[in-house]
Amino acid sequence: MVERAPVARSPIAPVPPTTIEHGWEVSARRSAAELKITDCTPLAKILVVASTDGELAHALGVPFGRAARDPHGTLVVGSGPGEWLLLATPATSVAVTQRVEQVRDGGLVSTFDATHGRALMRITGARAPDLLAKVCAIDLADDVTPDGAAFRSSVAKLVTDVVRDDIGGERSYMLHCERSSGQYLFDALIDAGDEFGIEVDGFVDPGIRGVQIT
Amino acid sequence: MSMRLGPRPGEVIDRAREFTFTWNGEEYPAYEGDTIVSALAACGERIFSRSFKYHRPRGLLSASFLDPGCMVQVEDEPNVRGAHRRVEPDMVVSPQGVWPSLEYDVKSANGAFGRFLSAGFYYKTFIKPRRLWPVYRRMLRRFSAGGRVSASTSRGYFDKRYAHPDVLVAGGGPAGMAAAVAAARAGAQVLLVEEEYELGGHLRWGDEAELAALRVLREEVAGTPGIEVMTNSVVNGRYDDNWVAVMQRNLPHVEERLVKARARTLVVAPGLIERPYVFEGNDTPGVILSTAARRLINLYAVKPGEQAVIFSANESGDATAEDLRRSGVEVARVVDARRGGDVVRVRGGKGVRTVELADGAEIECDLLVTAVGWTAPTSLINMAGDSPVYNQKTARFFPSKLPDDVLTCGGIAGDGTLDELLDHARATGAESARRAAKTARRLRAGTPQASETREPEPPPGEIPELPLYEHPALFRGETHGIVDYSEDVTSKDLVAAEKEGYDSIELVKRYTTVTMGPAQGKLESVNAVAIMAETTGRTIEETGTTVWRPPYSPVTLGALAGRNFEPVRYSPMQPWHETHGAKPLVAGAWIRPDHYGDPASEVMNVRENVGIIDVTPLGKFDLRGPDVPRLLNHLYINRWDNLDAGAVRYGVMCLEDGVVFDDGVTGRLGQERYIMTTTSSGAAGVWEWIDNWLQTAHPEWQIHVTPVTTAYASINVAGPKSRELLLRLTEDIDLSPDAFPYMRVREGRIAGVEGCFMWRIGFTGELSYEVHVPAAYGLHVWETLMQRGADLGVGPFGVEAQRILRLEKGHFIVSQDTDGLTGPYDVGLGRMVRLDKYDFAGKPELVWQGERDGRLRLVGLQPHDGSLVPPEASQIVEGKSEIVGRITSSRMSPTLGRSICLGFVAPHLTTPGTKVIVQLPDGERILASVTPHHAHYDPEGTRQRG
Repeated sequence: MVERAPVARSPIAPVPPTTIEHGWEVSARRSAAELKITDCTPLAKILVVASTDGELAHALGVPFGRAARDPHGTLVVGSGPGEWLLLATPATSVAVTQRVEQVRDGGLVSTFDATHGRALMRITGARAPDLLAKVCAIDLADDVTPDGAAFRSSVAKLVTDVVRDDIGGERSYMLHCERSSGQYLFDALIDAGDEFGIEVDGFVDPGIRGVQIT
Repeated sequence: MSMRLGPRPGEVIDRAREFTFTWNGEEYPAYEGDTIVSALAACGERIFSRSFKYHRPRGLLSASFLDPGCMVQVEDEPNVRGAHRRVEPDMVVSPQGVWPSLEYDVKSANGAFGRFLSAGFYYKTFIKPRRLWPVYRRMLRRFSAGGRVSASTSRGYFDKRYAHPDVLVAGGGPAGMAAAVAAARAGAQVLLVEEEYELGGHLRWGDEAELAALRVLREEVAGTPGIEVMTNSVVNGRYDDNWVAVMQRNLPHVEERLVKARARTLVVAPGLIERPYVFEGNDTPGVILSTAARRLINLYAVKPGEQAVIFSANESGDATAEDLRRSGVEVARVVDARRGGDVVRVRGGKGVRTVELADGAEIECDLLVTAVGWTAPTSLINMAGDSPVYNQKTARFFPSKLPDDVLTCGGIAGDGTLDELLDHARATGAESARRAAKTARRLRAGTPQASETREPEPPPGEIPELPLYEHPALFRGETHGIVDYSEDVTSKDLVAAEKEGYDSIELVKRYTTVTMGPAQGKLESVNAVAIMAETTGRTIEETGTTVWRPPYSPVTLGALAGRNFEPVRYSPMQPWHETHGAKPLVAGAWIRPDHYGDPASEVMNVRENVGIIDVTPLGKFDLRGPDVPRLLNHLYINRWDNLDAGAVRYGVMCLEDGVVFDDGVTGRLGQERYIMTTTSSGAAGVWEWIDNWLQTAHPEWQIHVTPVTTAYASINVAGPKSRELLLRLTEDIDLSPDAFPYMRVREGRIAGVEGCFMWRIGFTGELSYEVHVPAAYGLHVWETLMQRGADLGVGPFGVEAQRILRLEKGHFIVSQDTDGLTGPYDVGLGRMVRLDKYDFAGKPELVWQGERDGRLRLVGLQPHDGSLVPPEASQIVEGKSEIVGRITSSRMSPTLGRSICLGFVAPHLTTPGTKVIVQLPDGERILASVTPHHAHYDPEGTRQRG
């Protein structure tokens, strides 16, 4: 039999000191910098594909290009036409998936636990849009990509999903890409943020802000 | 000799910060704020460079960014604009392209051969005899201009940025500043770009009233929210829909930044550029423009000479005379062009000695200041599609028809008093903001944030007309002189070119290179057009101009390159590979372990014990839905609607031209759930292929496809002890041969990790399993395999060992053993092609392929000399030189102790035992024999099916 409990690892090497949260090796570093970047890969990520005019789409209540929290605190992102990504606290993939599958849609619905397949990071701070402006061509002004906007674009020449998810009125963006390029994207964002004094801030449970899953 | 003046009201130097720098090997003083050339001019230096072709001594002309006589080398940075770059403490500056020195440049001998080096000389000389080309090349290199870059120079930090201003104002003179403030006050986000280090344009070297106006404007810009100012920066190009390139300097941590701005409106306010006059000796050090004199005196407190002649046709020349007198320069004569005065020639080699006038007078002096007219820098509006029109009254070009999203203000739009120009600029700025807001509303109308209600559009703003002042049309005097200072093109060259048949300005430009130097025509284009008009007997309007293209000013390669954004992909086991000595293999964007020191040993360990290889880059797709079998039937050449749950099948995909495109295995994990694998390099292409079919040809099919390549860490466990090893890690999967036969898939827990699946397939020829675990646990599972299999002799193997193993087993690799013409019949997969399927990708072509003979076939080959490994792509020949095939894969087999190959041969050579001739790259020919199977080892497959 296996002697040691499996440890899940992000593609982004954690900045020391490290700790284990929900079975994931994460950075325990704390930063008070005005611009911070956090590896949020441990968050549960459920990919849902369904019809855009079915019951499930109605239940999720978030159209393509927008993101909003549901009553459980899960961030529902309309990441594509008929495609949603649900971001929730670590180790809740099963619960989130069950909630989705309980909705009677009538059409083809598929869910996939993308927790392991995506690298996810959060940038927080007033200079966050200035950092992103160095690696992404999308207009980040309030009237174009307000809080709750979600889009997929090239970030440092990598296909990346971006969600603006302000925290307490402070600018904040979540970025995710396919897992294998996670370290590359993280490094590119730190390089771009260097002139603004960016620092790595470790992962803090629950990580997605908001209500815990009940 | 000090030419430094006392304090000036508008000076930019800080006399409290004095330091030294080195020029041409000697130390010179400077103040903070000095440019390299102003500091040198303050010490009486007049010669800063040698001209491009004739190596004539050159001094300053415009004392601005464009100055062609002030290109210098600063340490390891060549082609620095010495009249713009600010000098810094301990800076080492040197002249460029001179030998042995700036003072005595041997290459000035070119001047003696001037008649042989006229424009276009390289089309007529240095051609024969051909055997001397290497000599000509060395010689021409020796005489070429420009600085030198050391191969060991540090790279420097360059980056890029995107911007989305409502209004981008190109030019930070008074008009630009006023327009920016007005646009910002109207609610626009404004980007204001200025080439100089400070905003202000010509006001900076103006009189008391102009300096006061400048202070007010600067305060307005600083105090108005919504204006981002970039100084020492330049708008370098305007592309479709106001995609604007800005080169930003003046950043503390970045050498140069390329700002890619999508501006809703562009306001072009570049001011006017003073034009030189063409006459004999016009490039003699000491001949300068009036704006150069005023800059030197009023910005840098430098006296430009001791005794001056002024040739003036306008107010700038008049004001210069006043500035010179107040600076203690003796003004020997003011020659007024408005009253018919003219300059004929300047005499002097390394400096002005006398000026000969049209009235016959010859005046001794060391300075000639010319103020003969202005050129409107219309580049950006030309790039916007406009063709500027020449106005005879003002003797300069104006915009004619601009697109809605481009406006102009300042001198490029007209003349007037300062107040008139500012009023015009403010109205332009307000109107630019209105148009930008209109564009923004139009763009937002289609977004999720769009408002349901539509507000009424505000009416267009009124922009007052600007007056046009009369100006004499002065381009060339009675004599010939330099037209393009950067390229050493003279007016005689232009005349000669026209005589040779180059009678259009576009042809003359290309033949003589006039306007093609670093100034890009800003100082010389109008003179060139006027001289061409004079020569051909046409008007300037009829002659027209050349077309301005980006970049507006030269740009560094570093700024174009920016940061090195080259995405890299790593598997979850990469840290382990690195710490265990894996040699990296770059496979597209992936970094994979090629081997761990000894590929041959890795092969033998797989054959004898058990090896593990990281195959995470394999393309993987999650397929869900009732119509998945239809999709598989459509994509693959074989049949899939009879695949049971728990089964795995190998498939080959062809494009519509019947060419093998990709291959892989697909397993059915449940009623409506499948996992498809593809080649690593083909994953992206297969994804596009699938999506294209589903979105265009079959949107009615109920299928969801999700790329999951990196959602799983994939490990191939291969070797006779592989089952034994996996038994130690699996808890709920029955690995016995009967329960888990070849080409089946099972799900379960591996090394304590839920959500894994594995299939029993083979690529190496040994008993093997491909294990797929949720990626975050990949390293854990890998380390557990290594730990738990230590006594079984488990070891890693890399891509090289895998290639050898699969070659021993005779498996072809798409794009290695296939090319853009290879069909499935060619690689021995004819029996897989199910033409009885209703339809599938490539079927019509495959029907035709199946009926045709004569195509090359893939066979196994073994060189007779087993110690020889023919290089891949070696040709297989018959007779003297007829090519009848090629080697596609070739390795030394550790298992067999000899070389083995796969290759294509003509149909008449495919019989096992046939001898073929392989021609090696060095021409040597060796013999090889066709083997009975592709597999060189265990062709019956007993080892992998056990």
